[in-house]
Amino acid sequence: MPVPGIPILEGKYPSTMDLYPLEAKEFNRVHQFYENLRQKRFTTTKCKKCGHVPFPPRVVCPECNSEDLEWVDLPTRGKVLRFTEEVAGVPLGFDSPLIHALIDLGDGRKFVSRIINCKEGELKEGDEVQLAVFDVPPMIIEKKGVMTEAERVFFAFEPSKAEVK
Amino acid sequence: MPERNVCIIAGGMSKWGVREASIIDMAQEAAKECFDDIPALKRKDIDGLLFASSYCGRRSFQVNIAPVVAERIGIKPTSMCTRVDTLCAGGSSGIILATGLIKSGIADVVMIAGGEKLYTPQRWETYYSELASIDHDWDGAQGMGLPPPYFSMTAQEHMKRYGTTKEQLWAVSVKNRRNGSTNPKGHFQKAVTIEEVMASRVIVPPLSLYDCCPITDGCAAVILTYAEKARELTDRPLVYIRGSAQAALHSMSINWPGEHLADWLHMRTAAKRAYEMGRVGPEDIDVAMTHDCFTISEIVEMEELGFCKKGEGGPFVESGQSDFGGKVPVNTDGGLLSCGHPFGATGIRQAREILQQLQGRAIRQVEGAEIGLTHNLSGLNVEHTILIYGREP
Ligand SMILES: [Zn+2]
Repeated sequence: MPVPGIPILEGKYPSTMDLYPLEAKEFNRVHQFYENLRQKRFTTTKCKKCGHVPFPPRVVCPECNSEDLEWVDLPTRGKVLRFTEEVAGVPLGFDSPLIHALIDLGDGRKFVSRIINCKEGELKEGDEVQLAVFDVPPMIIEKKGVMTEAERVFFAFEPSKAEVK
Repeated sequence: MPERNVCIIAGGMSKWGVREASIIDMAQEAAKECFDDIPALKRKDIDGLLFASSYCGRRSFQVNIAPVVAERIGIKPTSMCTRVDTLCAGGSSGIILATGLIKSGIADVVMIAGGEKLYTPQRWETYYSELASIDHDWDGAQGMGLPPPYFSMTAQEHMKRYGTTKEQLWAVSVKNRRNGSTNPKGHFQKAVTIEEVMASRVIVPPLSLYDCCPITDGCAAVILTYAEKARELTDRPLVYIRGSAQAALHSMSINWPGEHLADWLHMRTAAKRAYEMGRVGPEDIDVAMTHDCFTISEIVEMEELGFCKKGEGGPFVESGQSDFGGKVPVNTDGGLLSCGHPFGATGIRQAREILQQLQGRAIRQVEGAEIGLTHNLSGLNVEHTILIYGREP
């Protein structure tokens, strides 16, 4: 049942309640990660000076302190090592079943990600999953009193539809 | 000034549970019991306050809460008055920081209080807010803030790798709920049988209701000072802070430091340092309060603390080695599984129980306990915090 809420906040965008990152370049120096996601690329920053490739992406190399970084691609497919399916008690903003998996990306990284487009009981250990990019609600940015909408995408993984030959 | 030895001299708790009270109300209740615990100490003797809370900013709309608490409980700090946030270990962080402040002479008598009002008027906000407790832009946006799914993978890993059974998980729950049944301040005062645990509803396989600590409102408070001052204020045996460590080797789940999810390298790292500083080893610990946010957590913690070999945590708890009469009684006041877990208050609750154990006045007393240990893990297992207490400095 709808309730009055907080009348003075009606029609406002409370960013402190936003589930997704403030991705727009006005608020985020790694906004290129999300631009790349839009192109179905899963990327991070590589240090041009020492070669370090951390994830998540950085604005300064945590190994050598250099700011000379470039965007590089990470694997977009991985293998499920462990997974978990939450059916009841899923938080607002997510659908049941909320599935998470520990994925071996094959580059030495093990990534814990949400698995979407997958029914309860469908996933198995050893399954291959692939990057899935989807639209999420825009963030609102006020510029000289005018409200603009900054479109956003986010990512999860999904069961691979076809093996790569 | 010669280096001071630091003692914990008093402890108190509000009632914990689903409370019809604000965080500021519960802070007053905890402080009252703490002052009642040491009648010779007056409010004006306190010169420092550290208040541990992670969610006061989001769920009580109050940042910089320390001066608010100081005013309401009637103290006027002159050395230090600040908030500490390490999520589940905030209270322990406060105790470590206060030890340093007192040792160095920056402060003399410090209250470490903390707690959370986690239940909001609408329940969606209670759960939704949990998404803020982890690396927001990466793990939070993946919907990983509520801990049961993540710890279910830890449990699966331990079961598949070491043959740990559900019965062994349940043994932790039965023990801690029994210990908590006589603790009037905890969330639950009801022991459970293995049959009740077995029949409880599944949260995330293999974890059922009684494998998970509840969401709880509550506050707790302790007071620390240097040994000479402590002797002026109390005739009880002195309890010293002997060692501590806090290890944070990663934040986002992708950078997990262990070989696998049941391999807690950061916990071993913290334990090694705390044992060295405390000049003790696992065999010296008489009573331990470890972070049983889930039954599987306590099993892994027995191993990483060195109470048993890696992979043998299941048989260790099932055979009663972590119970009264065993090798080291663990979570003698009921732990998180029975007391609940208002994040910033938990390390303080543990310290209060260790204080009472080492002074021989606990509700469920470990006979002759002289060395105690407390442990917290924070968030989705990103930090480990350990303190060692003893009857000798
Ligand atoms: Zn570098």
